[in-house]
Amino acid sequence: MVRSGPGLRDRYCIVGVGETEYSRWSGRTTLSMACEAIVTAAADAGIAVDEIDGLASHQATAGDSCGNAEVSSALGIRTNMGVDILGGGNSIGQLVAQSIALIEAGYCETVAVWRSMNGRSGLRMGGGAATRGGEAPRPQPVAATGRGQYQVPFGIRGAPTIYAFEAMSYLQRYGYNTLHMADLAVTQRFAATLNPKATRREAISVDDHQNSRWIAKPFRLLDCCQENDVAGALIVTSAERAADLEQPPVYIMGGCARASTHNPSWTWGRPDMTEGWGTYVRERSFSSAGIGPEDVDIVTMYDNFTTTPMMYLEAFGFCGKGEGGDFVGGGRIHLDGELPQNTNGGQLSEGYAHGIGYLIESARQLRGRTDDLCEGWRRGEHSHDRARGCRQALAREDRRRRTRGEPVAHPSPPGVAFCAGGGGAQQGWTVVLRR
Amino acid sequence: MVQGAVDYSLIALQPDPDSQEFWAAAREQRLVVRACADCGQRWYPPAPLCPRCRSFDLEWHEAEGRGVIASYVVVAHSVLPAFRPAAPYVVALVELPDCANEDGEPVRLAGLLLDGEDAAGVGVAVEVAWEEAPDGAYTVPAWRALETPEGAAVWRLDAELERSEAPA
Repeated sequence: MVRSGPGLRDRYCIVGVGETEYSRWSGRTTLSMACEAIVTAAADAGIAVDEIDGLASHQATAGDSCGNAEVSSALGIRTNMGVDILGGGNSIGQLVAQSIALIEAGYCETVAVWRSMNGRSGLRMGGGAATRGGEAPRPQPVAATGRGQYQVPFGIRGAPTIYAFEAMSYLQRYGYNTLHMADLAVTQRFAATLNPKATRREAISVDDHQNSRWIAKPFRLLDCCQENDVAGALIVTSAERAADLEQPPVYIMGGCARASTHNPSWTWGRPDMTEGWGTYVRERSFSSAGIGPEDVDIVTMYDNFTTTPMMYLEAFGFCGKGEGGDFVGGGRIHLDGELPQNTNGGQLSEGYAHGIGYLIESARQLRGRTDDLCEGWRRGEHSHDRARGCRQALAREDRRRRTRGEPVAHPSPPGVAFCAGGGGAQQGWTVVLRR
Repeated sequence: MVQGAVDYSLIALQPDPDSQEFWAAAREQRLVVRACADCGQRWYPPAPLCPRCRSFDLEWHEAEGRGVIASYVVVAHSVLPAFRPAAPYVVALVELPDCANEDGEPVRLAGLLLDGEDAAGVGVAVEVAWEEAPDGAYTVPAWRALETPEGAAVWRLDAELERSEAPA
């Protein structure tokens, strides 16, 4: 018997979303960017900043961002809840889960969930410092402590090297190669060409992918997510409060918090290192939402690297075990395909914010107010014509009709988004959203 | 051949009470993994208790130092200054058959494959070799490829790519 999950289906909503510009050199503090994202998200929701009485955020490395106390002071708000957790891609769904749990328990009422990072100009993943002009500093010895003792002296540091082992194992087990990875990169980049805020908006081809330089084999440059400076925020509150706000409410149907495998800190020691946390919480994620994979209109799958979504799609039953590499080809994950994936271009193309971008994009898609090149996107006016710059996805039934060549006079926006984040096999979260 | 190319002086190894005997054994060119004195389970990296029966009564198991590559990565761009002169270099994830557990949990170590990319592949047999940091600061286990037995299945990424690009 699988537990039914959180049991708070549709009782909490994402009512506001916002982010700063994605850039390579913000020239700003993480505090400044965090506050801009939160103020923008509150305005999007149509609530006063003073109404926020909870803050929830994460840092991938201690000190890579400001904390909730500084944000509370800078915004001039007094809070009843402040959650600061350590973690990267495995965090944002956990923070959403903590927010609704604490609101439900009566600790607070309206939470801003946020992430701010100078991920390019400040502390880069893997710890390298950015330089701008002048001579590169003389290298200092890198400390190998804790789990790093078994990585750093062996040549392992930084996400590409760390995640390459499970990626290589996946290709080997199921007979895939880097051309399958190219399919995913090319398809997601197409979506980013319709996303005015994307870090990378130029279309790419399979050849561009294959000719990009190796970073950590099997990963080429175009298999790796962006490194950038950005902050994003979500406003989470009760469905009752959501009912009379600015935007159509986006309901949190269910999901899982930070789920782990049995050996998350040495994931390579598990018998099948490609089978991750998702397989353990697939039932919990869907049963809490009361739906199955067939009811999902769009997905976001954590794309730190091109291979991660292949494994996640399998874990959640969108395709069979070992079929992910084929599934991401053939146009299936295209904006107008069978199962549109990462319709903002993902972290590979829109930009990297440790996962909050997936929830922001999903909320906008479900509202039917995706920020694309259509002039009236704020009012929900979309052409649904990709050649004219429209990025608004369609509900699955309307998409199927269009694929069959049947006319769809007034296409509906997607009804359900399934979002999965983490980074690799070891830990992650799911958030299931509906309009 | 990358041996000698890594500048280990740019890594400050800081052993802790859970790991100091592992590093002390490495200095004597002995490869040891943690083992449970109660149930016999073996694991790596060293951790303070048995993950199977939760006993804190632990031993060290001296491994033969022979294994098979379970996965690998070819690092072209390293964020570690110590390893930049060696790039591109291969880190192999090596499974030790003589440390295998009855419950199916393997023991796998990551380490530099000293023979480089041409020798790398899933299924390649390897044996331990030792990399010395300057001034005897510490010793790191690494791997050297052995002749792979005839008929053994070896998977290489580049071979897969060539096959997929060959005309049908």
